[in-house]
Amino acid sequence: MQPNVNVISLVSVGRHPQSGRARRAEQDGRAVELGLKLAGKNLTVVHAGNPQEPVLRQYAGMGLSSLTVLEQAQGCDALPALVSFLTENSVNIVLTGVRSENGESSGMLPYLLADQLNWPLVPRVADIVSVSAESAEVLLALPRGQRRSVIVTLPFIASVDNAAQEARQTAFGPGLRADFHVLAMDTVVDEAAHQWKITAAKPRPKRLKVVKAKTAADRMKAATAKPVGSGGKIMKNETPEEKAKAIFDLLLEEKVVR
Amino acid sequence: MMLDWLVPTLISVLLVLAGIGAVRRMNMWRAGQAEKVDMLAGLLAMPKRYLHDLHHVVDRDKYISRTHVATGGGFVLAMVLVVFVHLFGVDSKILAWALLAALVMMFCGALFVYKRRINPPSRLSKGPWMRLPKSLLTFSITFFVLTLPAAGVLPEGFGGWLLTLVLSVLILMSLSEMLFGMTWGGPMKHAFAGALHLAFHRRPERFGGGRSTGLKPVDFGDGVSVKEVLGVAKPTDFKWNQLLGFDACVQCGRCEAVCPAFAAGQPLNPKKLIQDMVVGFAGGTDENYAGSPYPGIDLGHAKGAPNQIITDGLIHPDTLWSCTTCRACVEECPMMIEHVDAIVDMRRFLTLEKGSTPNKGAQVLENIIATDNPNGYAPASRTHWAADQNLPVMKDVKQADVLFWVSDGAFDMRSQRILRAFVKLMKAANVDVAILGDEELDSGDVARRLGDDATFQSLAKRNLATLSTYQFNKIVTTDPHAFHCLKNEYGDFGSDALQNVEVLHHTTFLNRLVKDGLLQLEPFKGGKVTYHDPCYLGRYNGEYEAPRELLASLGIDVAEMERSKFRSRCCGGGGGAPITDIPGERRIADMRMEDVVSTGASMVAVGCQQCTAMLEGVVEPRPVVKDIAEILAGQLIEETH
Amino acid sequence: MSDFSSTARSLNNGVRRDPRNEWIARNRLHPLHDSVMSARQGEVRGPSGLLRKNPHIIGFIGPNGIKRIDRANLSSTELNSKKRTSEAQETLLPLHIVENPDGYIMVVADMVGGRLTRHDKDILGLAHQLATEKAAVAVVLVCFGENKETQFDLAGVDRLIHLAGQEFNGFAPEARLAALEQIETQFYPDYWLFPDSVNGGADLASRLAARLGERPATQAWQVNGTQTICRGASSSVDISRATPRILMLLEECADAIDRTRHQVLPLALDVNVNTKQRLFDQGQIAVDSNAVPLAEAEFILSAGNGIHNWDQFHAAAAALGATEGASRVAVDDGFMPRSRQVGASGTWVTARVYVAVGISGAIQHMQGIGQCDKVVAINTDAGCDMVKRADLAVIADSEEILAELTRLAQQHASLASLEEKSDAA
Ligand SMILES: Cc1cc2nc3c(=O)[nH]c(=O)nc-3n(C[C@H](O)[C@H](O)[C@H](O)COP(=O)(O)OP(=O)(O)OC[C@H]3O[C@@H](n4cnc5c(N)ncnc54)[C@H](O)[C@@H]3O)c2cc1C
Ligand code: SF4
Ligand code: SF4
Repeated sequence: MQPNVNVISLVSVGRHPQSGRARRAEQDGRAVELGLKLAGKNLTVVHAGNPQEPVLRQYAGMGLSSLTVLEQAQGCDALPALVSFLTENSVNIVLTGVRSENGESSGMLPYLLADQLNWPLVPRVADIVSVSAESAEVLLALPRGQRRSVIVTLPFIASVDNAAQEARQTAFGPGLRADFHVLAMDTVVDEAAHQWKITAAKPRPKRLKVVKAKTAADRMKAATAKPVGSGGKIMKNETPEEKAKAIFDLLLEEKVVR
Repeated sequence: MMLDWLVPTLISVLLVLAGIGAVRRMNMWRAGQAEKVDMLAGLLAMPKRYLHDLHHVVDRDKYISRTHVATGGGFVLAMVLVVFVHLFGVDSKILAWALLAALVMMFCGALFVYKRRINPPSRLSKGPWMRLPKSLLTFSITFFVLTLPAAGVLPEGFGGWLLTLVLSVLILMSLSEMLFGMTWGGPMKHAFAGALHLAFHRRPERFGGGRSTGLKPVDFGDGVSVKEVLGVAKPTDFKWNQLLGFDACVQCGRCEAVCPAFAAGQPLNPKKLIQDMVVGFAGGTDENYAGSPYPGIDLGHAKGAPNQIITDGLIHPDTLWSCTTCRACVEECPMMIEHVDAIVDMRRFLTLEKGSTPNKGAQVLENIIATDNPNGYAPASRTHWAADQNLPVMKDVKQADVLFWVSDGAFDMRSQRILRAFVKLMKAANVDVAILGDEELDSGDVARRLGDDATFQSLAKRNLATLSTYQFNKIVTTDPHAFHCLKNEYGDFGSDALQNVEVLHHTTFLNRLVKDGLLQLEPFKGGKVTYHDPCYLGRYNGEYEAPRELLASLGIDVAEMERSKFRSRCCGGGGGAPITDIPGERRIADMRMEDVVSTGASMVAVGCQQCTAMLEGVVEPRPVVKDIAEILAGQLIEETH
Repeated sequence: MSDFSSTARSLNNGVRRDPRNEWIARNRLHPLHDSVMSARQGEVRGPSGLLRKNPHIIGFIGPNGIKRIDRANLSSTELNSKKRTSEAQETLLPLHIVENPDGYIMVVADMVGGRLTRHDKDILGLAHQLATEKAAVAVVLVCFGENKETQFDLAGVDRLIHLAGQEFNGFAPEARLAALEQIETQFYPDYWLFPDSVNGGADLASRLAARLGERPATQAWQVNGTQTICRGASSSVDISRATPRILMLLEECADAIDRTRHQVLPLALDVNVNTKQRLFDQGQIAVDSNAVPLAEAEFILSAGNGIHNWDQFHAAAAALGATEGASRVAVDDGFMPRSRQVGASGTWVTARVYVAVGISGAIQHMQGIGQCDKVVAINTDAGCDMVKRADLAVIADSEEILAELTRLAQQHASLASLEEKSDAA
């Protein structure tokens, strides 16, 4: 559909939030979806890691005839492999997720790539509207479903937001049949990360509404006052005006009405 | 007489043409995939299958069953005798008289066929089928007259050449329909294909009162090479005897009349679906189809060919996704055609090859794959519902008399009430029971009905592996869908985990407890109660009585709905239909609730959490919906210590 | 009003007398008498201590007996006791003074809408925690573009770098990054702190980290001078690591400053941004609240079988700026499109506020709103499940309440536009 743009989507192994099992990552799936929209059958999908990883078949099942794997051992830095792959292949657009679902989840990868390749980066895109020979118009996803239009020169990197088109269903058969091009890579062990101590996430206590009252009366008031909107306030016998006012106050307090 | 040769010639020419047609037709079926069938045994069993099994179904409509016996029986006998008397010229008065008798019988039958066709119900196809009674009458009258001389009633050569000529024209007309039409796609095709279909049926277990409802597994090959296509993409991807089965359809529309999706105005009509399958493997369009269309889809646009992808132009995927797999059509089909198998086969292609399961389908399948339950709950929270139930877990006890298969209702607050009620009853009866806890996985029912047999098989194998590590005598479950999988579908995966294990639905099990006097129950004093048969308990597993006996044991006189037992109407919850959620004009559950309301009942008893959810999804006010376990638990007289 | 620290609020509560005002109030012949009186009536303290305007008493009767609206707000600015808060605090909160800092901690704020966000303030709080571990370190707030914040002093800003140039407005990561690099060379800060947010904080931080070649800590939530704990792997693990120089911090990583005032001294920066621009902001696209995808919407007004006046419902949603949702019954009956269905077989929404009008709360519907923060129910049946789930439930006819809500929303909007004008003046 677009004029000869070379699009690459980078994919990683995701993590299901409830079971913790490996899965197709939300945003990476969307990056593939967006890539398919831009490049159709010509999309290249690249993973740096273990070519035996079954989850890769889930990406392939989105209708990819092949998938490129830059073979790496676990705990290695994907960056050098990707940089050398991208410099060797003439690429116009690289799509990634915003943040990986596994590991450090720093979201730095697209930035490091962009910096090393000296390409511009557009963060959190919801869509790529059009691509011409020199530039592309992209829509950034802003909170509350808002969008910003940005023009970016080619080649560029875009990280794909959850607001982008959802990844299509993966089909089992084509996923199994897809070819994997496995490229051996020099691997660099991520030394720094080996120093880290990784533990299961401790629950963070919700911040209490600490009331630093200056007088006893204030403290009393704070202790007895029902926090607004917390838990099942029912208004039955008030006038409609009062009831609507209560709702409206809540909307104001939550800042959804401004 | 100068035209002596005419009648035998006509008969033999048409017989030859019929023979050619038969070979041609058989080749069409043979374009399907290979399937092992014991041909000889099938052919030998065929008459009995016809007289017993098929007739048993037809006999639900006495009018048409008598008509069919007279017409069909008369025709078959007459045709055989015609060959002897008129083709081979066997000169025997006895044969001639026998032929006359057969023709009279056929004539009487044909009269009734004619009468039915004067003002046919909408489920019947029109078109060529309206011609059939006339052809039948013509056949019987013509050969009757023709046979009179042979029987010695009339002198040889009676009527001269003119009559012979007239009779010959009539012979041509009727025999074209009866012989030529039989193998070249006319209405009489059903007799030819139907007979062979009975002989080579893919589920021979169904004959002689048996039941065969488990879906056949997809063959994923040896794990090295992947098959070219999974599921059925093109008509030729069906097994050859499935194609044969489609050809057996008489377009009686009984399936259409019971199909809940059709009634709800969703784009599905099982009769049309079978006819489209025929259009597919024979090639052509649906222009000549003269029955009710798929609701909301016009006739005449569907095109098919043996090697064309079915969902590209022949059938819209929504048609396939509308089916609730309730098996009402299969139960009702006099030709014992397997609609559900065909539908799921085609769904397999859509899911496994195209990745186009509609609406929530993709998400549900993804959840099942990543969390072993359809809603994507944390697998480690599966047993939270039982935190206060004090239920032994198999991992700890290793063995128990009864293994309680909880199923995914464990995650759903409404279903948990059913689970607790059942546990309460088991405790009252001191049953030695244990659960699998977090080791239990989704049974795979939804994945399989949505066409994802890969996921189903993975779940089945993992569940079987878990089961095989423990000792128990019975598995009991409150979920008819899991019940069906465990009982009828897990057997295909070469595990002996369920050997010598009785798989029971909780109503069956509770009924035993009540009969053994292990539960003290108070009579039920509420209002009128009706009972809804869940498809996967009733039609899939034949359990109609235990729930009714249980209700009777509470003193409840069930106010039966018109559609009950094997004719029960689906709640709309099966086959992943609530997930694919194909829009229609109405909701199936609403129609079912109307059935309930029309009995005047204030409560509808069910035996399935899915039915409970579907019926409770009907907007209030409506009768109360309760699982039988809940009703029983409410009447339990608890011993006071 | 979480934008202000709680101390400021309680001070505000002690209404200060204004002798001149009182004098005018007593003197009925004073030309400003009417407006003073109306201003007083117009302002009522609500139960939460907020000043509320009585919308009916806008303006004053001019000398010739005609009602005037003082749009320029000329008379009220001086008279109002509202805007004199900082003066009051000066006398109460101790001023935190950093004389000659020998180190800097840079806090790059999101400043959504030109004001410090709660997230920004938490990070300023954290900056001060880190600052106490060193000698004389100043906490510097770096912000770009529009600035409407009036309370930097109370939020803990010792020094301020405000880059107000046109080139920093909107989406301008290249220019902003260049400015940050400038800061880096000019001040070489001890730490760079950013909110790990979708409002630009994480983006800018990542750019800076990549440019400086420093490995940042992301999703950090417990930080001291030596060790930082970050969330990783979709928030399923904690990563403990040495504290790096660039940090992206989660909300509530520290408490905001609330007991001191700070100097807010401007720091000079020689900005000369001349990077090659490759990103061109075309501006924000106005997305109508009803065009927002349901799953992304923040505020949903949802209709069920209890809606009988659909025009009114749509009007209410428009007036409130809410995204429309629906129950399955409303969809089945053809009043709402399928894409608006909330629930098990529709969309699972994540709205912060979900207002269910005439929806009974069937379990399949509830599944769809499991992640909503605040649920409001408007229903005639006090016993229905939606009322049980709701944080605020109103037992009344939907039509009545929607009419009233629409009126309130319109009133609020016209008031807001009035204030906007007077603010500008
Ligand atoms: C498999 C399945 C999936 C489903 N999926 C969904 C889904 O995704 N989403 C969904 O919404 N439903 C779903 N349902 C349907 C669900 O079970 C309910 O039927 C439906 O949510 C009820 O919609 P309702 O609350 O609008 O209607 P009702 O249940 O009829 O409730 C109407 C409410 O409006 C109140 N009311 C009436 N008049 C007024 C008035 N004048 N002013 C104020 N209040 C009034 C009534 O008190 C009542 O509480 C599903 C059901 C099934 C079985
Ligand atoms: S199984 Fe049920 S829903 Fe499906 S076609 Fe047959 S009758 Fe219709
Ligand atoms: S499929 Fe069976 S029930 Fe349906 S029309 Fe054909 S013969 Fe009749």
